[in-house]
Amino acid sequence: MKRTKKAGPNYDRYGWIFISAAFLLYLIFTIYPAVESLMLAFQSLEGGEYIFVGLKNFKRMFGDAIFLQSLKNTFLYMVLQVPVMLIMALVIAVMLNSSFLKFKGFFRTSIFLPCVTSLVAYSILFKMMFSLDGIINQALMHLGILDAPYQFLQNSGWARAVIVIAMLWRWTGYNVIFYLSALQNIPKETFEAAKVDGANAVQTFFRVTVPQLKPIVLLTAIMSTNGTLQLFDETMNITQGGPANSTLTVSHYIYNQSFVYAPNFGYASAISYMVVFIMIILAIIQFSVAGKEG
Amino acid sequence: MKRKMAAMAMTAALVLGTLAGCGKTENAQPETKEEETVADDASGEAAEETETAKEPQSGEEKTITIWAWDDNFNVAVMKEAANVYAQSNPDANVNVDVVSLSKEDVYVKLQTALAGGGSGLPDIVLLEDYVSGKYLNTFPGSFADLTEKFDFSQFLSFKVDAVTQDGKTYAVPFDTGATALYYRLDLVEQAGYTEEDMQDLTWDEFIEIGKTVTEKTGVQMIVEIANNKTTLVRAMMQSCGLWYFDKDGNINIKDNEALKSAFDIIVRMKEAGILYEAESTEGRAGALNNGTVVSVVNAPWFISSIRQAEDQSGLWRAARIPRIAELDSSINASNVGGSSWYVLEKSEVKDEAIAFLQGVWEGNTDFYDTIMLNQGAMGSYIPGYDTGVYDEEDEFFGGQKLNGLFAEILPDVIPVNFGGYVAEANDAITTALANLFEGKVTIDEALEQAEAQLANQLGR
Repeated sequence: MKRTKKAGPNYDRYGWIFISAAFLLYLIFTIYPAVESLMLAFQSLEGGEYIFVGLKNFKRMFGDAIFLQSLKNTFLYMVLQVPVMLIMALVIAVMLNSSFLKFKGFFRTSIFLPCVTSLVAYSILFKMMFSLDGIINQALMHLGILDAPYQFLQNSGWARAVIVIAMLWRWTGYNVIFYLSALQNIPKETFEAAKVDGANAVQTFFRVTVPQLKPIVLLTAIMSTNGTLQLFDETMNITQGGPANSTLTVSHYIYNQSFVYAPNFGYASAISYMVVFIMIILAIIQFSVAGKEG
Repeated sequence: MKRKMAAMAMTAALVLGTLAGCGKTENAQPETKEEETVADDASGEAAEETETAKEPQSGEEKTITIWAWDDNFNVAVMKEAANVYAQSNPDANVNVDVVSLSKEDVYVKLQTALAGGGSGLPDIVLLEDYVSGKYLNTFPGSFADLTEKFDFSQFLSFKVDAVTQDGKTYAVPFDTGATALYYRLDLVEQAGYTEEDMQDLTWDEFIEIGKTVTEKTGVQMIVEIANNKTTLVRAMMQSCGLWYFDKDGNINIKDNEALKSAFDIIVRMKEAGILYEAESTEGRAGALNNGTVVSVVNAPWFISSIRQAEDQSGLWRAARIPRIAELDSSINASNVGGSSWYVLEKSEVKDEAIAFLQGVWEGNTDFYDTIMLNQGAMGSYIPGYDTGVYDEEDEFFGGQKLNGLFAEILPDVIPVNFGGYVAEANDAITTALANLFEGKVTIDEALEQAEAQLANQLGR
């Protein structure tokens, strides 16, 4: 009795004290920079000093051919890569979850392994694989498909394809883990009921498994969309945005505006906020689509 | 509904936060930060000098911090300078700390620090001449005006021009990008040509020789990087005294005769099958080292890459680069890159830093000889060219007087106004060339496209 009485008021206070350190760091390292960069988005560096320019940075974006190209590229990656990756991840997760599979631990580890590689390291690896004397060209020549090595990274279509393939390899396993854990939370009874009702494997998958995975599908879809919008390491290391800006992403362009070209942090911040805005719109769409069906 | 919206917003915020967090940790590129002071130098000589430097003097010892890249070149040269200074000025009571970073890191850190108001800056920084205008324009007042501190008439004029703005000179010129054509004499001879045939060529003659060489030896004539062919473009352009920008800083691409010819020459090289497109700088060096290509056009510092193939010793030669036949202004000399030392205006040891640069980089021809011999660094200090080092014969190049060749090329180089936006211009040209190579546009269209892209980028 005594304890609960005492714990009552202090409970809250202790709680606040415990989270205060983390919250303070969050304020300093996340909220403060976010607010500062929002201010920066309305400023421009001219003659060594920041001056307020209103919406000029935002207006500039709509006439900036390279920005629009980078936006187009980013959406292309998203449309090509995210659905393919999520479907693959779902199929692999269901396979890994099946009761007859032996060496589950081994397969699960293997599938997840790409996720622990560094983004830079794996990007360089893919660049090497698709280079002139890389393993892909060697294999295709041995098989007689190619007569001479092909410069995959110098063709805009292929360069994009290489980026998408690299991302599929890197991120599919990551999503598999989400689906696996969600699958294990689906009550067994629902599968048994489906079996009793005479549903085949395909029917069970679409009518029983997928609907119950919906929240997690939504989560992975949002995460993947965000991840794609922030794509940087892959294009930076594999193609440097080339050929002819055909693989340049928005994040890469933000980097160029800040550090490669004459520094324009204001414009770079404005583009960053444009990306945030796009993410919010996409998240709202995804939530509302999911909401309707359920 | 309200609750749902709130939940949604929170999820989104969390997801964004997590992802942003992930991205940051994973994006962190391996930094090649290697803080090395002169004191760390392993050689006995250096240790000795450090002791002298550390001896208690009147007043406190001051540290001059220098940022540079490339351990074997710029950093090594500046460390040598520090040693020389410590030896010749034991009373100076300064400690020179050369911090070795990657070039990208130097720019990123400098740019961030300057934009953020100036904390965490070094006292001296190495910058490429191509970015000189960018920093001087964007951060006026950040670099010390050295006009009165040095006798700049003793330095190569095109180097001084590159670091001068509105009549004020802001840096001590360091190395030059005097451009040469490096080629494999053995392969050229197999095709029936001699060393004399490779002198003072036009690009048309070069392509004809290239065709024969490639046909007879099966080795492609010249290498350039596939996704950035601007080394060749810049070399050809400056051989005519032209640049992406005119003297007043206006964009000069669409009606730039030199650029038009350069595009035409590069396309003809490709069509003739003599152009090897390497995928990266490493790929370019690799192709040269394993005998996949005959020649390359580049600066003096590129020699160290060629030398990696020890089995090719004696087979290489260097010559002046070809000129553009149809343009009378084009000469057999050009420049690609090069860099200079800047002193930060707000440095606490600004005067000491300037004194250090004066003490070594001006007047000390022995120092220039040392860095020429040890690092192959082609300085910009004219009195340094009269010394015996330039008669030195290079075994790797069949006994050719390589340094002498550069000393001969350098005075011919025509100064151009690089302007503040070389990176932007290079990107515009790279994009245009890629479209041209994919057959999407003609040369004129490609140049118009590049001009439009650059104008758009610069908001003109």
